[in-house]
Amino acid sequence: MNHSHHSVAPPHHHPTTATAHSHSGGDGHMMSMPMTFYFGIKDVELLFSGLVIKTAGEMAGAFVAVFLLAMFYEGLKIARESLLRKSQVSIRYNSMPVPGPNGTILMETHKTVGQQMLSFPHLLQTVLHIIQVVISYFLMLIFMTYNGYLCIAVAAGAGTGYFLFSWKKAVVVDITEHCH
Amino acid sequence: MHFIFSDEVVLLFDFWRVHSPAGMAISVAVVLLLAVLYEGIKVAKVKLLRHALESLPIPTSQQLMEETDGESASSDSLSVGRSHLRWFLCHFGQSLIHVTQVVIGYFMMLAVMSYNTWIFLGVVVGSAVGYYLAYPLLSMI
Repeated sequence: MNHSHHSVAPPHHHPTTATAHSHSGGDGHMMSMPMTFYFGIKDVELLFSGLVIKTAGEMAGAFVAVFLLAMFYEGLKIARESLLRKSQVSIRYNSMPVPGPNGTILMETHKTVGQQMLSFPHLLQTVLHIIQVVISYFLMLIFMTYNGYLCIAVAAGAGTGYFLFSWKKAVVVDITEHCH
Repeated sequence: MHFIFSDEVVLLFDFWRVHSPAGMAISVAVVLLLAVLYEGIKVAKVKLLRHALESLPIPTSQQLMEETDGESASSDSLSVGRSHLRWFLCHFGQSLIHVTQVVIGYFMMLAVMSYNTWIFLGVVVGSAVGYYLAYPLLSMI
């Protein structure tokens, strides 16, 4: 009889402590991915599982690395454009007759500029395209950490890269080209 | 993680918290205008470059290309220096516009990442409206 009394009492305590534990566990899980901008240098996970920033020195190094990555991305974009322009060799003119307004026959000329599929310039363009896509996703993921220092590094690197690499390009570019 | 229809969202900053349909409508309008601005900045960059290249005298751009030569053939070096400075300022302004474009693009990406369907539709409609309004201006000089 005493045993049954004792066995009834403890279960009343257990549910409250269990819910308290699950509350703190639930909050800890939701706060691991920040959804607003913050400035901090403690426990900043950067892209890969082993890469965690814990000190100010590590944050400074990460800032420089992200800055250089964004600069390299802008340079890669400009380099791919100039490579494409240099390697466009095959220009074909196709002339075809089309009916004109008064029953006359007019000649319409089409100009196609392109590369051969298995040529080295096209393969090089493809490899550079893959590198550009991967770097752009890395920059997106870095911006997604919502860390203020790293986001500023991305923006400043993009601006500096554009400034340095588009300097010469802006002079020789064909101004009727579309922006990218 | 999946798209949800909800009236509650936290967008980008700690103070931007939405709890009500009215707040959500205002947030969608802000995100829509941000997307319109993004498309407009893309067109503005091209137009500014075109305007800068046309307003500068043509010998200047040729001298910029031949910068390996020691002395340029032009006699008045003072006007060349001023044109170089104008080109430098113009390009610096272009770089600032580029930074603004990059930042706004990332803000739009982060807004869509909130996985709120209203915000996503705001971004999409804003991009469509911005493109519709801005790109015909590209052919006009």
